Amino acid sequence: MFEENEELKILVIEDNYGDFVLIQEYLTDEYSNFKIERAENFKNARKFLEDNGDYSAVLLDLSLPDVDVPEKLVKEVLDLANSSAVIVLTGYADKGFGMKTLSWGVSDYLLKDEITSSILAKSIRYSRERKRVRRQLEESEKKYRNLFDASPMPMWVLDRNSLEFLNVNTAAMELYGYSRQEFLKMNIRDLWAEGETTGEEIWKNNINEFFSFQIKHCTKEGELLYIEIESSPITFDGRDARVTLAHDVTAKVEAERELFHSQQRFKALVQDGSDMISIIDENFRYSYISPSVKNILDVDPENMGGRNVFDFIHPGDEVRIRKYLKFLGNKKTVQLPSYRYKNGEGEWRWLETIMSDLRDDPAVGGLVANSRDITQFINQEKELRESLERYDIVAKATSDLIMDYNIESGEMKFNEAISEIFGYSTENTEFNGSWWDSKLHPDDFARIKAQEREMIEKSRKVGHTEYRLACADGSYKYVLDRSYLLTDSSGNPTRIIGSIQDITDRYNYIKAIEDSNERLREIAWTQSHVVRAPLARIMGLIDLLKNHRENIENVAEILDNILISSKELDKVIRKIANRTES
Amino acid sequence: MNLKVLIIDDDEVVVFIQKKLMANNEITDCPLVFKSASYALDFIDSEEDSKEFLILLDINMPGMSGWDFLDELNTKPNKDRYHVIMVTSSVEQRDKEKASHYCMVREFLEKPVTNESCRKIKDIPEISHFFVKV
Repeated sequence: MFEENEELKILVIEDNYGDFVLIQEYLTDEYSNFKIERAENFKNARKFLEDNGDYSAVLLDLSLPDVDVPEKLVKEVLDLANSSAVIVLTGYADKGFGMKTLSWGVSDYLLKDEITSSILAKSIRYSRERKRVRRQLEESEKKYRNLFDASPMPMWVLDRNSLEFLNVNTAAMELYGYSRQEFLKMNIRDLWAEGETTGEEIWKNNINEFFSFQIKHCTKEGELLYIEIESSPITFDGRDARVTLAHDVTAKVEAERELFHSQQRFKALVQDGSDMISIIDENFRYSYISPSVKNILDVDPENMGGRNVFDFIHPGDEVRIRKYLKFLGNKKTVQLPSYRYKNGEGEWRWLETIMSDLRDDPAVGGLVANSRDITQFINQEKELRESLERYDIVAKATSDLIMDYNIESGEMKFNEAISEIFGYSTENTEFNGSWWDSKLHPDDFARIKAQEREMIEKSRKVGHTEYRLACADGSYKYVLDRSYLLTDSSGNPTRIIGSIQDITDRYNYIKAIEDSNERLREIAWTQSHVVRAPLARIMGLIDLLKNHRENIENVAEILDNILISSKELDKVIRKIANRTES
Repeated sequence: MNLKVLIIDDDEVVVFIQKKLMANNEITDCPLVFKSASYALDFIDSEEDSKEFLILLDINMPGMSGWDFLDELNTKPNKDRYHVIMVTSSVEQRDKEKASHYCMVREFLEKPVTNESCRKIKDIPEISHFFVKV
């Protein structure tokens, strides 16, 4: 506040000495302590003001000898006066002009005829106060502008109704990549990411209220940002506006999401994974067991706490497992041999476990067991072994040639029949696809290769064919080949397993039988002619006797012929009977 | 008459029976008899082209069989001049089937030849006009 005892320093710009003295007197009446200086023209006034800028007030008479235009004088003095209050002294005639000077920044105007000590003192006091308040206001506005422009937080001012940008700070320009000019042509909606509707809704419901929310924005480069908005209604340059503070929380949102995913992953691993993780104390009692045990062994993890591990392990495996557990302490991790473990149903399951000694780790303080159910694997292995043994026995016991053809490598494997039946030495022969091709009979070659191609290309599982196959001595054997195509898991042919049976003997029998049938047919034909010839004669002769007797001269001859033919027939029949008996 | 009747059979008794029936059924009184098919071929070759032949042909004969004879006949022009009646003692269906492949075979008869057989011969459309009573 203005203090009365502060020394006043007054500059009076007045060409009239009488008027100056008068003012000095008025001041003396009111103030005990003041300094006064006089400039009798504008030139001096300028000198005073330039040398000492710290006058409490400047009293300016409008009629000076070296200035013609009063308006110019007032404005120049105001410029020079800086922070000092300027009070204009006018004559009554210039009252209108005096009032006008107020709008240029003059603190007060006084009519010279009306000035008294108290009026002058009051005017000085008010003018100084007004000047002070105005300076404070200016400073505060400057501070506010600095706060807005220099704020590290992106900020902007929007028209409250149209949502057009009215002002924007440097941080906002940096964050979004738009220049001030670009921003001032934009609307806040241009920042909203595609599909974002929250902004519109919240703005509509709170046009004249404070609001805050989170929204997705898009930068000029198209980058997506998560922004926390705080927006308050203000008046800006006389317009209804709102000032908005934007907090970029993209990194935070992403970190939260990453954390959420990582937690989900961990949960999935521990709860739904195929591995069970348990922590066991030095006395082999469970202190923790992962929830996945419920899915894998159908055991409630809550009932396992404190139970001894060996309550669940098959007695037949206990000694072996204990032996391995002794290594813990010397070694950080020990892989236990597979063992049987009782599940919730009371069935034995095969487990495989890796033990880690984390007794020194305060977060664990025990042995960590990482176990996996391998029952299916063990059973498969057992089945495979049995199946292989069976195959071995069958391959040895059969008289068939068993062939195993690897389609990709062309490699072929046979059982002992390759030497026993076909005479090839297993030591001196390299069995492969082209070797096999060379052993096919040339007349069968094209047909067999076509069948083989069809089997592989069309993935036909079973093949069944006959052909001739060469032996080591060059002779051919007739074989019946039953093949089976093996495919990999994606259905691509990998191997052909063939069972090849020597049917040479059978083939020869069939051929002999067919030959003999053909001969029999010929014999039957001849016989029918031979047997029926005398019979037909007899029938013809009897027909003559019966139906043409009147035209027959020699009946005796016909009867003779009947007798001859009958004897001939008798002879033929006896011959057949004899042949059939012998 | 422009139709010559030929009997080709090596069995004398059969020929005797057939001659008798031919005469009694008024097919012909004087058929030409050949014990061998090749002789019959020679005869046919020596005849004029205008002649037609009714041939009673046995299948099973020594030397040239009935089939061989048919094959020879098949090579000749104007095959519609030959009217072949197969006469066989065999009752095999295969023979009947085989005979049907020769276009000049008009009938397939099983021995013995009877009145019934002769009626069938006279009713064969290609030659029936030779037997119309005047």
